[in-house]
This record gives sequence, structure tokens and C-alpha cells, in this order.
Amino acid sequence: MPTFFRTAAALGLAGLLTTVAQGALAQDKTSIEWWYANGGRIEEAIQTMISDFNESQDKYEVVGVRKGNYEETFAAMIAAYRAGKHPAIIQATERSVLTMLHSNAIVPVNTLMEDNGIDMKKDDFLPSVAAYYVVDDKVNALPFNSSTGIMWYNADHFKAAGYDAPAETWDAFEEQLYALKDKGVTECAMVLNSDYVWSLIEAYSTINDQPFGTQANGRDGLDTEYVYNTTMVTKQAERLKKWVDDGIVQLSGQGASPSQLFNSGTCSTWSASTASHAGVEAEAQFDWSATMQPYEAGVEPKNSNLGGAALWVLKGKEDAEYEAAAAFLEYVAQPDTQAWWSATTGYIPVTHAAYDKLKTDGFFKEHPTREIALLQLTRGGEPSDNSWGMRFGNSNQWWAVIQEELQAAFTGQKTVQEALDSSVERGNKILRQYEQLNAGVN
Amino acid sequence: MPASINPAHQGGRLAAPSLPASRLLLARMLRDDGTGLKKAHYTQTWLAGLLLSPQLLILLFFFFIPSFKALSLAFVQVDPFGGREIFVGLQNFVDLFSDPSYRKSAWLTLWFTIVQNIATLGIAGVLAFATDQIIRGQVGYRSVLLLPYAIAPVISGGIWAYLFNPAIGPAASALHAMGVPWDPNLRPSDALILITISAVWKHICYDYIFLAAAMLAVPQSLREAAAIDGAGPLERFRTISLPLIAPVVMYLFIINMVYGLFDTFSIIDAVTAGGPAGSTSTLVYKVYQDGFIMMNLGSSAAQSIVLMVLAVLFTVLQFRAMDRKVNYQV
Repeated sequence: MPTFFRTAAALGLAGLLTTVAQGALAQDKTSIEWWYANGGRIEEAIQTMISDFNESQDKYEVVGVRKGNYEETFAAMIAAYRAGKHPAIIQATERSVLTMLHSNAIVPVNTLMEDNGIDMKKDDFLPSVAAYYVVDDKVNALPFNSSTGIMWYNADHFKAAGYDAPAETWDAFEEQLYALKDKGVTECAMVLNSDYVWSLIEAYSTINDQPFGTQANGRDGLDTEYVYNTTMVTKQAERLKKWVDDGIVQLSGQGASPSQLFNSGTCSTWSASTASHAGVEAEAQFDWSATMQPYEAGVEPKNSNLGGAALWVLKGKEDAEYEAAAAFLEYVAQPDTQAWWSATTGYIPVTHAAYDKLKTDGFFKEHPTREIALLQLTRGGEPSDNSWGMRFGNSNQWWAVIQEELQAAFTGQKTVQEALDSSVERGNKILRQYEQLNAGVN
Repeated sequence: MPASINPAHQGGRLAAPSLPASRLLLARMLRDDGTGLKKAHYTQTWLAGLLLSPQLLILLFFFFIPSFKALSLAFVQVDPFGGREIFVGLQNFVDLFSDPSYRKSAWLTLWFTIVQNIATLGIAGVLAFATDQIIRGQVGYRSVLLLPYAIAPVISGGIWAYLFNPAIGPAASALHAMGVPWDPNLRPSDALILITISAVWKHICYDYIFLAAAMLAVPQSLREAAAIDGAGPLERFRTISLPLIAPVVMYLFIINMVYGLFDTFSIIDAVTAGGPAGSTSTLVYKVYQDGFIMMNLGSSAAQSIVLMVLAVLFTVLQFRAMDRKVNYQV
């Protein structure tokens, strides 16, 4: 018995010493926080990436904290910034690029890297990705989880209806959707994703080379105005409304998720981010596939729009913390990390080097759907003023407005044109407010 | 010190004109108005002040300072990071009141609050009345009724959203089987019904506790006397119990109003997220959406002020009602 106690005491002491030693070790490390917004499988990948980084060296420690979805994370960051308790790194969506650029609260990633002697050039990144985050040749944020919407489909359903794959043009695709329903293959030919404004409206405008707003979609000036109520986008909105009325498209609503409706084999098609790969690959028990988004007959399709988020570095930190942030961002941008991240999640690799690595590894041969987003983002050659992307102030306010107005059209309270007109009118008011507040700020 | 507990003496001393103004004010605040502790409990006003200070400090930090900040934000346009501010005067309020969707939201809130209020009181009243009639399993009956109160609003909202989801919800498919074209995603009235049901379900237990307690407090002798006179259970309830529990009903009515106005936001967020087309976006949900999702802090602050005025109004109403009618020594 005494031996037992002695052993136990010794073990306890050893444990205590180890804890103390680890504590001391942790003290030496510079610790920084990174607030991110992804949940589920993507979050698991983020945590793996962070612990891999922490184990790869012993000078820095990154602590990843999920603060809810993108909006909640952004709101938490704003509150924390005002109180001086913000993280060093924040993940923010492409929709908040202008707000971040004008915030006077960021350290451009370019500057951060230069200060810490790390080489990072804008040409490292794929052009369609860089377009959003590079302003005046400066990389302001590190593109992290970049994506674009692709057309997912249930190949079993398409076979049953006598088709190989979704058609390339919207009109032919529409015929297929009606056939899927009429032939009794499915009750739900398409499920509308919660961010369909991005994947079916904005993407439609980009792919069909339509101006969404003046001033090259906001890139060339804050006096931009929305014009999508006068372009082919109205046709797309009318089409969606018709599909809602005819029961072709299903809105998942609260209490169910669109991914669930596709992954369970209920709905035949789903226009959603390429980042859905992680979920679809794990959950779908049928012959699923994906293809590029359709375009209008007679149009030469251009590239699609970027989505996802980037990593921004915030002001007000110590030099040591910036050193840690720079080291971490360098790690994230490495071809190996990028290739692993892309393979694990379905987000696209953001650098040429990582894309090339995945190609030479033969990754896309094994997983052809993984390359669709990349091919779609580079379709149609050099991006035009309409297709390069979008940069509108307070875009998240407009986002709520357009959803509300389109819902009003879907529920029959307004005609589609009325809804679009009203959303443009309200959207332009939002743009003027943004202009008033931010004119003259870099 | 018999003199110190003599109210007349106390009153005379406090009214002395030689006292400093601040002390006079405090004295006035402590003046006996027939409710609460008698002022005679305190011979020295500083002691009363000291005892009040924790509460006052909490109010200062959690009410007055935030309110002041909100008040100041309502008159500016501000960038979310707080770096730039433009004074815009009453523009935020003008925008608000000229916005048709805000007016729509106000009417919706009124409808929702009143329907929710009456439904909650009605159902809780019936259940509380039934408590007395149940002889076996009273404990089980009460526990089941109190359960919803223990469930977080977001969770209960999620459950309702799932049950009535037109694509996968069991309750929705039952409705479809009966031929009801139920779809809260596309039919605003369905969405409104759904948030009302969820809000009522969550709040019945609160009203139930109060009403059951109030009914228990109705003297048995009165009811027995009525019974001997030949009044049935319903008759006894109407003529004896109801008048006696009226003050509690009044109190609950105001509390339900406040609940409907302010506390239903998380339920709405989970059940409909304000949709479709803003048809379930109540005033408090708009504050959240405009402020925290859209980062339109100026407008959100202006809306908060409108709601604050409403809240103050209800509080005054509540105190009035309680002063007049509620007797806690039932």
C-alpha cells in the first residue's frame, strides 16, 4: 500500500511539474486570436489547420474562436474593436470588403508581410480571387476560404428522367427541371439555397456579363448605383418566381437546411458553393455530381463571382503579435496548406502554386467536380467590368433588402419588376448613405 | 428612539427649508406614499441612499449609460468601427417614420402582441382553472405545464420551425394531408400564425404559475358559500374567483405586452427569421436586424429609442395598475 501511495504521489508531482513546465512554455509563446465564422466540417478543418501550425513551430500560438456565423462574427469583432479587445485576425466575407477597406482598423496584409520580411505578391493569387482583395496593387486581406456557386445535381434523378447531366443554357435547364417533376422523378426539382441571391442572381449577372451597378460594379467610385432592375437579371428573377409558383423550386425555410434537402436525395438540383463538397461527399448516398452554372442562350459566358471570406489583420496589436500573425498567414498561404485545405473542404486553392500542385498531384482527375469552380471562375477569358466582381458599400444592408423584396415577389405581394425596382431604390439609398460617410476616406 | 418612528415628526423635519436641495429631493423620493417600506425606517437619508446605491449603480451601468449611448447614436450616421460620425439631426427618425416597412412592422407588432397576449392569458386561465378540478396527478400536470419555460427560446423556436417546415416537418405534412396548403415560407399569414403559436406556447407557463397561485389564494370559504348557494364550478369562477384575481390578470396583461414587444425576438429569429418579406419582422426584431446584421447603427439606435419610450409607457402603466388594484396581502 505505501508503495502505491508513493507512486501515486510521484506521478501527481510529475504531472504537476509537467503542467507548470507547459505553462511556462506557453508563456514564452506569443499567442494571438483568430475569430472565424465557419461551422461543421469546415470548422474541424480550421481547427486542424491551427493545431498543425502550432505544432510546426514553438514561437507562436494561434487560438481559433468561432463567434457564430459571418454576421455574428463581424458584429462581435466590431464590438470588441470598439472596446479594444479585438483579435489579431478576423475572417470577413467578400461582402464586407469595402467596409473593411474604409474602416481605418486594418493593417493591410501586404504591409504586414513586408514589415516581417515575408514575400507575398499579388500575382501569387488567382486573378479572379485577387480582384476582390487587391486594391492599388496591394493585397489587403489574405483570401482564405474562397468559393463560387456551382450547380449540384442528383445524377440518379437525371438518368431516371432520361438526361445525362444538367443542360448548359437556362432555357434547356428549365425544361429538364419541369421534366423531372412531370415524369414523377422528384417532388423537388431544385432547392433554393439560403444564399441564392449570391449564387443565382449575382452570379447570373456576372456570368451573363450584365452590369449589376454603375462604375464597374462599384469598383471605380462610391457614386455607384444599382442597375440590375434594367438588365437580364429581371428575366432570371421572373424565372425563379415562375418556378416557385409551379412548385419546381423548394424554399427550405427555417427548420430545415437546403443542404439537407439535397444530400438526402429529396431535391434534384442545388445551386450552391463549391465548399459544399465537404458535406455532400460525407452525406450524399446517391450518385451525385456537379457542373458549371447555366447561362442564357446566345450569351458568351464569362467568369462567375467569388464568394467566401478572407483573413484581415486588425490594428492595435504589439509587434510580436504581428510577427505571429504574419507567420500564420504565411503558413496558410503555403501551397501545401492550401492544397490540403482545398482537398479537405472543397474551397478553391487561392494561389497559382497550390492550383498547380493539385493538378500535378492528379487530384482533379480523381475528383473532377473539385475543378468546376476554378474553371467557372476563369471561364470566358479576361474578366470584364461587369464580371470582375462587385464592390458596393454596406452590401450586407442591401443583401437583407433584396431578399425581403424577392420574398415579396415570391409570396405574390409584388410583381417581380416592382420588387426589383423597390430593391434598387432602397439599395441606392444605402449606397448614398455609405458615400456620404466614406467620401474622401482611403 | 420613539420620536424617529413618528411619521409626523419625520415629515416635519424633512420639510424644513434649511435643508440642501439635493437632500430635499432625496427626502421627497423617500416620502411615504403608502407603498413599500415606510420612510420612518430611516432616520438618516444617507443610510437610505447607501442601501439604494447597489441598485442605482446597476441601473446606471446597465440602463442609463447604454441608453445615453443609444440616444447619442440615434442622431448620427456612424461607421461600424466608430471612426467617423456625421451628425444628421433627426434624419434617422424621419427616415424611420417615412419607411413603409417600419409602419408595417409597427402594425404587425401591435397585432402580434395583442393576439399573443389574449391567447396566452386565455389558455393559461383555462389550465389554471383546471388545476383545481384535477385531483390525481396534480404534480405531474403542473410539471408538464412548466416544462416549456425551462427550454431556451432558440431551441423551442427551432423545434417549432422543424415541426412546421413545409418540406420535412411532421406537423406540416399532417396539415398537407388534411388539404391545408401550409407554407410559412410563402404564405405570410402562416408565418404569423407560427410565430404566434411558438410565442404563446413558450409563455403560457409563466401566466399559468401566477394565475394558479392567484386562484389558490381565493378563500375557500367564499367558494364553498357560493357552492352551498347552488353555483356550479363555472359560475363560482365567474362570480367569485375572477373578480378576486383581476389584479393579477391586469399585471399579466402588461407583462405579456412587454414579453410580446421585447422578448420574442429569439423565437422569431429561429422560427421565421422575420420572413417572408418582413411579414414577421416585429419592431424589436428589426432593431436586431438593422443593428447587428446590417450594421446600420444610426437607424437601429433610433428604433431602440422608439421602443424605449414604449417600454417606459408600459412600466408607468404597470405601476399605476399595481398601485390601484394589486394587494399583495391577498
